[in-house]
Amino acid sequence: MLYNICMVSDFFYPNMGGVESHLYLLSQCLILRGHKVIIITHAYGNRTGVRYLTNGLKVYYVPTLVIHNEATLPTIYGFFPLFRNILIRESINIVHGHGAFSSLCHEGILHSKTMGLKACFTDHSLFGFADASSILTNKLLKFTLSDIDHVICVSHTSKENTVLRAALSPRNVSVIPNAVVASQFQPDPSAADPNWITIVVISRQVYRKGMDLLVAVIPRICSMYHNVRFIIGGDGPKRIDLEQMREKHLLHDRVELLGPVKHHQVRNILIQGNIFLNTSLTEAFCIAIVEAACAGLLVVSTKVGGVPEVLPSHMINYAMPEEDDLMIAVSKAIQMIKIGEVDPSRFNDELKDMYSWSNVAERTEKVNHALHDIYFYAHLISGLNISICIYIYISRQVYDSISQSQPSPLIERLRRYYGCGLYAGKIFCMVMALDYLFWRFLEFVFPKDSIERAQPFPYKRYRDYVDKVEEPKAQLK
Amino acid sequence: MYATPSQQFQSTINHHNPNNPPWRKLLWVKQDYPDNYVDSTFLDELQRNVNMRTYDYWTMVHASGGITQHISSVVIFIAIFIDLQTHTLSANHLIWTGSLLTGAGYLFLDLMMLRKTENYDTHKGKRVVKSAIFFFSTLLGLSPILKTLTSQTSDDTIWALTVCCFLANILFNDYASVSRTGDKILGSLSTNAAIFASVLLASRLDTNLDVFGLLSFAVQWFALFPIFRRHLQELNSNIQTVLTVVMLLMCIVMFSHISKAVVSLYILGFCFLTFICPYWLIFIQKYKNEIHGPWDEARPRLQRPRRGLYRKRTGNLKIM
Repeated sequence: MLYNICMVSDFFYPNMGGVESHLYLLSQCLILRGHKVIIITHAYGNRTGVRYLTNGLKVYYVPTLVIHNEATLPTIYGFFPLFRNILIRESINIVHGHGAFSSLCHEGILHSKTMGLKACFTDHSLFGFADASSILTNKLLKFTLSDIDHVICVSHTSKENTVLRAALSPRNVSVIPNAVVASQFQPDPSAADPNWITIVVISRQVYRKGMDLLVAVIPRICSMYHNVRFIIGGDGPKRIDLEQMREKHLLHDRVELLGPVKHHQVRNILIQGNIFLNTSLTEAFCIAIVEAACAGLLVVSTKVGGVPEVLPSHMINYAMPEEDDLMIAVSKAIQMIKIGEVDPSRFNDELKDMYSWSNVAERTEKVNHALHDIYFYAHLISGLNISICIYIYISRQVYDSISQSQPSPLIERLRRYYGCGLYAGKIFCMVMALDYLFWRFLEFVFPKDSIERAQPFPYKRYRDYVDKVEEPKAQLK
Repeated sequence: MYATPSQQFQSTINHHNPNNPPWRKLLWVKQDYPDNYVDSTFLDELQRNVNMRTYDYWTMVHASGGITQHISSVVIFIAIFIDLQTHTLSANHLIWTGSLLTGAGYLFLDLMMLRKTENYDTHKGKRVVKSAIFFFSTLLGLSPILKTLTSQTSDDTIWALTVCCFLANILFNDYASVSRTGDKILGSLSTNAAIFASVLLASRLDTNLDVFGLLSFAVQWFALFPIFRRHLQELNSNIQTVLTVVMLLMCIVMFSHISKAVVSLYILGFCFLTFICPYWLIFIQKYKNEIHGPWDEARPRLQRPRRGLYRKRTGNLKIM
């Protein structure tokens, strides 16, 4: 079964980050599979309108007002006419929202359910329950997830967190970890300087990523081990603290601050190191440590959030988010590298083997569309990593399952929203009812037939043409 | 929550098989369980209400004395202002009473501190007297200016502003039951609000002496008396109850010839704060639902905590 899928999120290219790359890679794989995927996001500066990315991925940069940190101003109904137009134009079946902080995502899910389409939500982050921003966001999440077909979380800890926040039944939440393109992070043992043990840190420099721990630990390590140096990439408000620490302890030759790093440069920085240090205070699924392990680094990380579920124990050393414990873990890692106890360059093969062929074949048997799958996986060998195959396989299961459910009647939807709380339930019902009325009004003023359907991108023809052009070039080489 | 088609998602083949290895909370291991499988260890690490405190009713009634004393002090001040304005109270009496009581209170505190700490600096006394004389003579000189401060403003504005300032004083006051070290004036916002309110009120009076009287009394009452109360409380906790009752009685006595309605309102408010509010707090503790788990943002423990360590800056809202 092929679907027309719409991904909605505030966070997309040209912004760089975990959600953005997740969206892009997921969309690319779905296009390879034969589905039609479009992405709706907000305009970034001058970049508005429709853009086509690789393989015909159509991105709608909707002109909305951006308030804080790439999140749009939530007008609830203001986005509806444009959104409806886009969905009808592209004949969308399934709307998939990403990111709890993205107001476009929440609005998109609300409107798609009003229009009778299927909706799905992927949560990428962990939240507390105690502070003001968490309480408000959790209530909003409860509202959005009252009426949704399926929820995907990136780790088991994230699943527990989301189930508690939005009061969901845990059976409706799937755990699909993020995938990484391991071939883009091939290790290179010769790139690291043999005279030094290099510790690499690449993260946004904010409080949440444990920069205070890093600032406390670096001088102590540098004074304890004289052949250890640091390479730190990334930017943020806490960069000043790192620079001050460097000045105070005169570590200009031992600590290198690279500033903001583009995503395609990350691998080249990683291979210069022996150890990757992650000091985050909270992480749902830390993709950075998987990328670092693929690139052949031993990982040292704080044991928070979903991190303990990600890597096997021989690839990673854990520490509590305390300065002393972190010192012990880093020292242990340095020792392990010195005496050659581990060979991190073999991690890439292991991470690829974790998603082994035999496992893929086994899962394939359970699915109805066996023929399609063999075609799909054969096509993918040449391209991406197998871990993405698994991801797509699982996502397709989700889409299959949710596309088979019937759209619920309006009274059922109202009942779901009503259960959100004593006062909140009533307010949410009113919001949703007004949304429904607005939709009826739009159906009357701009009927479906008057909206021109867009031509789908001729992906197969494009692929055939590209292959035909590439083939003689490859033969020439 | 709702009937879902994802039931068909869960294959019943493998996870009821006893030969199946137990489900592990790991992502890198291929497990024979469907993706929406719910294990029996689900939400095992959830901790609820770990920071629960049980409150004792009479302890809280006793502790509420701090708040009611402060409110009483504001009410007494207003009573004195009204008395000054209607010339029921003479400014001379006020000034002399205030100064004598302040002096007595200061000496008392001095003796107390002398007994408590060994190396208490007694030469401080001369400096204190000098600065007090300087301060009060400045105030005396400024009184004529302050008298005409709000001559252009209408009465209503003054009353409204005064009410706002005294509310700010009550709300932002530092009610900590454990006294901090030293005689620092804490809660500068509340003290400033109180002094500003008293300046506004003083500008409504007739003679310079009245103005000076009210202002000097205000400084003693709102800046120095709270320190005295705090030290007294440290001395003996029974004194807290006695002081609360004394101030309550003073309020009633001073306001009884001005307005009976205010007195009854005040007594009602006092009873509400002292007896009903503690009960209410204990009653709603049962709705407490504090959730902790592995998803909480960890608090980094450093050896040498730096200033502003836990201050989160903006720009860290976006995750991943």
